[in-house]
Amino acid sequence: MARESLIGRMNRKVFGYLASRFPPTPWADLTRRTVETVQRQVPRSHAEKYELKTIWYWYPLYCLGGIAFVAFIILTITGILLGFYYIPDGTIQFTRGGGVTSAAYNSMNFIMNDVPFGFMIRGLHHWSAHVMIAAVFLHMMRVYFTGTYKKPRELNWLLGVVLLFVTLGFGYTGYVLPANDLSRAAATIGINMTKASPGPVFLGQFLTQLVFGETDPTGFYIIRMYWLHVFILPLVGTLLMILHMALVWIQGVGEPH
Amino acid sequence: MEPQVVKQGVFEGKPGFPREYGPERTDYQPGVPFWPHEVYRDLVIIFILTAIIFFLAAAYTPIVGPSANPAIQPYSVPDWYLLFSWGLLKIADIFPTGKIPDGIGGTITVDAAFWGDILTAVPVIPLFILPFIDRGRETRPAKAPVRTAGGMYGLALIFFSSLYAANDRIIASWPFFVDDTLKWAILIPPILVGLATYIGIRRLGFRDMYWWLVVTMGAAFTLTVVSVLWSFGLGPWGADGIDPVTRLLGGWSSPLAFFLLLILVYMGVLFFATVALREKKAKEVVAVATVIGFFGAAAAMKYFASVNYAGSYYALQQITFNANFLVALPVFGLIAFYLGTRTPYSTYEYLLNECYQCGKCHTVCPVTKVEDDALGGLNLVYNTFKKQHDGVPLWTCLACDACSAVCPLDIKYSDYILEERSKVSAQRTAADGGRYLH
Repeated sequence: MARESLIGRMNRKVFGYLASRFPPTPWADLTRRTVETVQRQVPRSHAEKYELKTIWYWYPLYCLGGIAFVAFIILTITGILLGFYYIPDGTIQFTRGGGVTSAAYNSMNFIMNDVPFGFMIRGLHHWSAHVMIAAVFLHMMRVYFTGTYKKPRELNWLLGVVLLFVTLGFGYTGYVLPANDLSRAAATIGINMTKASPGPVFLGQFLTQLVFGETDPTGFYIIRMYWLHVFILPLVGTLLMILHMALVWIQGVGEPH
Repeated sequence: MEPQVVKQGVFEGKPGFPREYGPERTDYQPGVPFWPHEVYRDLVIIFILTAIIFFLAAAYTPIVGPSANPAIQPYSVPDWYLLFSWGLLKIADIFPTGKIPDGIGGTITVDAAFWGDILTAVPVIPLFILPFIDRGRETRPAKAPVRTAGGMYGLALIFFSSLYAANDRIIASWPFFVDDTLKWAILIPPILVGLATYIGIRRLGFRDMYWWLVVTMGAAFTLTVVSVLWSFGLGPWGADGIDPVTRLLGGWSSPLAFFLLLILVYMGVLFFATVALREKKAKEVVAVATVIGFFGAAAAMKYFASVNYAGSYYALQQITFNANFLVALPVFGLIAFYLGTRTPYSTYEYLLNECYQCGKCHTVCPVTKVEDDALGGLNLVYNTFKKQHDGVPLWTCLACDACSAVCPLDIKYSDYILEERSKVSAQRTAADGGRYLH
């Protein structure tokens, strides 16, 4: 039997001496064992359970809902920050030079020019909104083409359709807020379409008055859109999103196979 | 040791080998840990997404633009996700307008905004009733041709109605387009996209698409003939009073006549190849016709532009005017022909993916009753599919199709086995210096 090398014997002696007096606690292993207990593990998916050969390039399509949610988180944070500076007053004012402005428009310029990193916060809000809407569209396309809306997930599909309209509502009420020319054009279209609601004339008038607060876009619509954008839609949307994700958690992801 | 005992010890509980008797299994495997495995994966996506958004915010900062001014009505289009609604609102002026009584003494004003509301609201209805009308069990897009084709139709519809929202911009930059052409583009191309998708998806599921192609190509050819005749005689070209026959016979030097005949001949070749030729020959003919037609059209355009500039300009104008048929139909014909005749061998694995290892095929397989390897638990289908074989199962298979007969998912295993064999034998023939069989 070959003798152990000198260095090996020395190591064994030194570390053995230390280990017998200061026995090491396997913190890393203990931690891993703790966090890998059954209760803290993600259940095996259908594909994993039955060892299905799934189509790998479908998997990125399955994080689109998550991307929309992450964008929503960024939107919430930047929206809270923007809310400290934005003034929801679209009343037309005349400048000394004969130009036209409004308190909302001035506050937008204040955010873009004077608030430290204000342009960045608004940019994040703007682009996150685009990312979120794109992700929601693609998420819906994925669910449609993979037929994931079928039994037992009908209710979640309906929730998703409502959430799509909530997201589009977020987008519309959001880009009306800056009180610039695009805002006015969009408000004009929205008011005209609401006024033309199928049904009796007073219905369209009533709905326009309800949603926009006026039947001609003079600037009062800003406060209505603002309150929809920062309170009503976030409340409804967040509740529906929680329900949407709870149903995914309960029913499982409709996997590719 | 007995092979049966070895099989139980080694393969019990494995895919295809369900537990037969004994105590309940306790080695329950719940899956991957949420922390840190799943969280790390999610964090990567979140960080990349956040980085992209930060980059966009820093590099493409949204400007505020001029203030809202009641005195000025600016030209502006909504954000891209509402373009489809804006396009539908714009197209709504094709519908009749007027006033109708609402039954309680007043009147409803039916105008473009009214129809725009209707057009925007109607597509919402299928979204809500979708889970209740599509009740089949197929979830794969390739197994549900109607759903997939409908989805592609919807996407094309959204695309073209969004395109129409910028109709004045398009006409300003490409004056050949007229408003009516863009309006019809909301109707015609989405149907062609849906039809081509349906043909392609059915073919992907190994259906014979001959009659579908015959009908489709026949309809496309007929439509092309009608469009060409319309351009010759009934269209704006005939407004100058020259009768179509004179135009046709005397117009050989005319670029318009040349291009219309080129399109007509190309669609005729597609139709003829579909109906009369065998599949392989038809593919070759169509490929040659496409190359000749494309480069011939480009060369002819170059030539006519040098000798008869006004004529070629006029030809381009007339063809663009009828682009929904004269341009979209040849493109559609080519794509539909390719999708309907292509050989979907590469999709065998895609179809075999449905296997969930119930083991029925193994139970009925006659080879496993006599082959020593098979008695030890060799599952021909499963191992061949997983490519965990040394080549033996591929060649011991009798192709008796008993496995496909009992397969709950109706997977055609023997087709796959035969295809694999033909591939291997073709490679061997090629290696031997013979002609490659495919």
